[in-house]
Amino acid sequence: MKRFWKKLRRRRQLDRDLEHELRFHLEMRAEETGDAREARRRLGNVTALKEACREMWAFAALESWWMDIRYAMRTLAKNRGVTVVAVVALGLGIGVNTAVFTIVRGALSFDPGIDHADRVVLVSATDALAQDELSRSDPDLRTFRSQVKSLISLSAYRFTPVNWSDESGLPERYVCVQMSSTGFAIIGRQPILGRNFGPDDERPDATAVVVLTHRLWQDRYGKDPSILGKTIRVDEVPRVVIGVMPAGARFPEDTDLWIPLVQGRADSHDPSLFGRLADGVTLAAARNEMDTIARRQVNKTRDTLKGPVMDVSPVLEMYGAYAMRPFLVVVLCAVGFVLLIACANVANLLLARAAVRSREISIRIAIGAGRTRIVRQLLVESAVLSFGGGLAGWLLALGGLRWFDASMARFPKPAWFDLSMNTRMFVYLAAISIGTGFLFGLAPALQLAKVDVSNAIKNGGHGAAGGTRGRRLSSMLVVFEVTLCVVLLVGAGLMIRSAIKVYGTPIGVNTANVIAMRIDLPEAKYPRPDDEISFHKRLKTRIESLPGVEASAVTSNLPIWGQLDFTFELEGAPPADKGRLPSVGGLVVSRDYFRVMQVRPRRGRLFTDSDEVKGSPAVIVNEAFATKFWQGGEPIGKHIRIARHGTPQSWLTIVGVIPDIHQDFRDPLAHDPLIYLSYAREPQRSTFLVSRTRVPPTTLVKAFRREVQSLDENLPVYDVRSLEDHIARHHLDIGIFVALFSIFAAIALLLASVGLYAVVAHSVSQRTREIGLRMAVGGTARDIAQLVFAQGLRQVVIGLIIGLIVAFGVTRVLRALLVGVSPSDPVTFLAVVLVLMLAGVLGCAIPARRAIRVDPVVALRCD
Amino acid sequence: MGKEKQAGELVQGTLDMLILKTLTRGPMHGYGIASVIQQVSDEVLRVEEGSLYPALHRLELDGIIDSEWGVSSNNRRAKYYKLTALGRKQFVKEASNWSRLAQAIARVMEMA
Repeated sequence: MKRFWKKLRRRRQLDRDLEHELRFHLEMRAEETGDAREARRRLGNVTALKEACREMWAFAALESWWMDIRYAMRTLAKNRGVTVVAVVALGLGIGVNTAVFTIVRGALSFDPGIDHADRVVLVSATDALAQDELSRSDPDLRTFRSQVKSLISLSAYRFTPVNWSDESGLPERYVCVQMSSTGFAIIGRQPILGRNFGPDDERPDATAVVVLTHRLWQDRYGKDPSILGKTIRVDEVPRVVIGVMPAGARFPEDTDLWIPLVQGRADSHDPSLFGRLADGVTLAAARNEMDTIARRQVNKTRDTLKGPVMDVSPVLEMYGAYAMRPFLVVVLCAVGFVLLIACANVANLLLARAAVRSREISIRIAIGAGRTRIVRQLLVESAVLSFGGGLAGWLLALGGLRWFDASMARFPKPAWFDLSMNTRMFVYLAAISIGTGFLFGLAPALQLAKVDVSNAIKNGGHGAAGGTRGRRLSSMLVVFEVTLCVVLLVGAGLMIRSAIKVYGTPIGVNTANVIAMRIDLPEAKYPRPDDEISFHKRLKTRIESLPGVEASAVTSNLPIWGQLDFTFELEGAPPADKGRLPSVGGLVVSRDYFRVMQVRPRRGRLFTDSDEVKGSPAVIVNEAFATKFWQGGEPIGKHIRIARHGTPQSWLTIVGVIPDIHQDFRDPLAHDPLIYLSYAREPQRSTFLVSRTRVPPTTLVKAFRREVQSLDENLPVYDVRSLEDHIARHHLDIGIFVALFSIFAAIALLLASVGLYAVVAHSVSQRTREIGLRMAVGGTARDIAQLVFAQGLRQVVIGLIIGLIVAFGVTRVLRALLVGVSPSDPVTFLAVVLVLMLAGVLGCAIPARRAIRVDPVVALRCD
Repeated sequence: MGKEKQAGELVQGTLDMLILKTLTRGPMHGYGIASVIQQVSDEVLRVEEGSLYPALHRLELDGIIDSEWGVSSNNRRAKYYKLTALGRKQFVKEASNWSRLAQAIARVMEMA
C-alpha cells in the first residue's frame, strides 16, 4: 500500500521512466539488428503497450477518467454550436421537469399533522337523509362510540371559520375547527404549551377555551409563551387560550385553532366523524361495521334507506390535493415527454456528429484505443453534456419556481404546500441528469464504437458511422420526437381551447374596477337581522363617501362563486309535496348590486329604496328563469314564494328581469335560472362587500378596512381582492394547467423543429457530393428542394400520424379538466396538424436552400 | 486478431516464470531479459516484446521483482530489474510446479 501511494506521487516520473525504458529497448534492438523499423515492428503497438502499463499502475483508472473528462470538455468546446444547442435542450428538459416535480411533490405533500395519518379515517353518511336521521337519533355519538370495534376512537369535528380579535393586532378571519375532546387522542400529538381540552371543556356551562396551532401562535404572537391564559374574542365570544399544538399539527386541513364541540348544542350543520382504524382492521371491514351500526340506529326511526348508509375514507384522500392526483400524474407524464424529446434531440445531434467524427475515432482505434475505451470516452462526453444540462436545468427550475411562486402570491397557498428546493429535489435533478446522459449518449456511442476502421479512414468519414443504420436511427428519433410533440400539442391545444371557452364566455358583469371583500357578522354581536341590516347601511354610507368610490353594495355571492339554494313555489303551479318543492339558485343582494356590476334590466326595474324596507315583496329573476317558466311570456308581476325549512313564506312579486350572470361554481358555461332577493328581506351573516371605483381598486384596500373597523374594531375584512382577481382565483386550476401545457408544448415544438432541422441539415451536408452530381447531370433547384423536403417531411408525417393516434387515445384522461371541448375536438387536432407541418416545412426550408446553392464544381471536388 | 498459434509463442502464464528464471542470474534490464530468453532457448521462444513490459510492471507492483536505474554495458541509463525475497520464493514454487507438469505431459506424450 505504501508503495502504491509512493508511486501515485511519482506519476509523471513513472511516465518518463517508461518512455525512457522503451527508448532504450528500441535503441538496443536497432543497434543489434541495424534496422530501426524492424525494432519498432518487433516491439509492437507502443501506445497500446504504454496504455497497458499505465493501467497496470493501480491509479490508472482514476487517471483515465479525469483524462476523459478533460478531453470531453476540449471536444465540446471545439464544437460550440452543437454543445450550446445540446445544453439548452437538456437544460429546458431537465429544468421544467425539476420545477414541475417540485410543484407536484409540494401539492402532494399534504400532511394533516397527526400520528398514523394513514390509519385515520373520516366517517360520513352517504346521503343527507341518513345524516339527518343519524344526528337526530344520536346527537352525541354515544351509541356509535360504545358499539364501534373497528375504530380505536371516534370523534367529531366541524369547520367553523371565525373572527378573531384581541389587542395584539388587526382582527383576522381564521379557520377554526370545533372538535370533541377525544379528537386529540386520535391526533396523538401533545401540546407544546399548556393542555388540550378534555371532556369537562365540552359541557355547555364550562369556560370557553381555545387551542392554537403552532402557525397561529408564531404568526400572530411571535411564539410568546405568555399567551396561555389570555382571553381572545372568537366570534365575539371570550375564550381562554389553554394550549398550543406542535408545528405541523393542522387536522384536518390548514386549521388555525380548535375549540371544543359543545355537547347538545344544535347547530346549522352536522359535524363529520373521524377515527383511527384499530390494528389489523381494513378499510372495508370498518366500512361494513359502521354501516351495520348506522342501519340499526336509523331503523329505530325510519326504514326506507337503501344501499350503504355510511362511508369510511382515509383522511389523506379527503383533504390536500388528493383529488388532483390523476391530473398531476398527467402533468408529470407530459413533462416527462418533454425530457424524452430533449434526449432524442441531443442523441440526434450526437449521431450527426458521430458521422463526422468516425474518422477521428477510427484513427484512435487504429493507434491502439480499445473499443470499450472509446465507448467510455463518448459516454463521458455525454455525462459532461448532461452535467451542463443539469446545471442549466437547475437554474431554470429555480427561476421557474420563483416565477410560479410570484404569480401565485396573490392567492393564499395552503400551509402544507412546500415549494422549497430540498434534498429530494436535488436527488431528482441529479438522477434525471445522469439518466438522460445515458439515454442520449448510449446510441451514438455504440454506433461509433462499431465503426469500420479502414473504411472510415479511407472515406474520410463519409458513410461510415453515419451510414444507413445511423441515418435510420436518427430518422426514428425524429419520428419519436414528432410523435411526443403531437401528443403534447394536442393536450395543450385542448387546454387552451377550454381556457378560451372559460375566459371568453362573458360573465355578465363588468369586472373592471370592482373591489370585493368578505365580512362576517358574528351572531354574538349582531343577534337580530336588523343589526345586520343597519350595520351594512351605515357601512355603505361611509364607503360611498370615500373619494374614488362610485357605488357600494352587499351580496351573498360573487359572480361565478356559487349561489344560495332556495326551494320555491310558482303561483298557480300545481301544488307539490311539501318535501319536494323545486329548488332554484339565488342571491341576496342589496339595492345597488346591479349598479356596481353595471347590469341593466332586460325588463321591469332593479331594486330601489322601496325594497330596502323589511318585508318588501320585490324579487328579480334572470332571463334563464323567465325563459324556463314563461317561455317568452311576461314574467313581471308574476308571483313566487320561497320556503324556509319547508314552510312557505309570503308571496313575492317579480319586478325585473336581468341578463344572466354566471354563478355556477363548476360549469362556467351553464345558464342556470336564478332569483335575486333583497338583502333587507333576507339578511346574511356572511357577505361580500362590492364597490365600483373610479381608481384602481386595490389602492383603496386600506381605506376600506379603516371604514369597517371604525364601525366595529373587532370585525375582520378578508379575501380583499379586485373582482378580476377573485375570478382569476376561481379559474386558477385551469389557468395553471393551461400555462404548464403551453410551456411544455412550446418547448416540445421548439425541440422537435430544431431536431428535424439538424437531421435534415446534416443529411444535406453529407450528401453534398450527391447533390452536386445531380445538379451536374441536369437536376433543377426544384428537384433538389423536392429531394430535401421529401426526406424531411416524411418523418414529420409519420410522426404526426402516430402522434395523432396516440393523442386520440390518451387525451381522454384530460376530460375532467376540459370545459366545453371534447377530448377529440377536431379543431384542435387540425390546428396541431397545421402547426406541425409548418414547423416541418420551416425545419426543411433552410437546409433545402443550402442544398440548392450547392455549387456542383466545388461539391464534386471536395474530398 | 485471432491469428493462428505459431510455434514458439509462449504458453499463457509462462512469461512470468521465464522472467523470474532469467532474473535468478542477476539484475537485468527489459531488453536483456528478452534477449536472454531468446538466446537460451535457441531462438525458439520468441518473447512478444510488447507484452514483456506490462508483465514486468505487474510483477514489480506485486512485489515479486524490484527495479532500479543503472548503467548498461554500453554506458547508457537503463532500468534494471531484480528478484525480491518474495520473488525468489515464488520462483522456486513455480519452477517445481513447472517441472512436475512438464514431466507429466512428457509421460503422457510418450505413452503412445
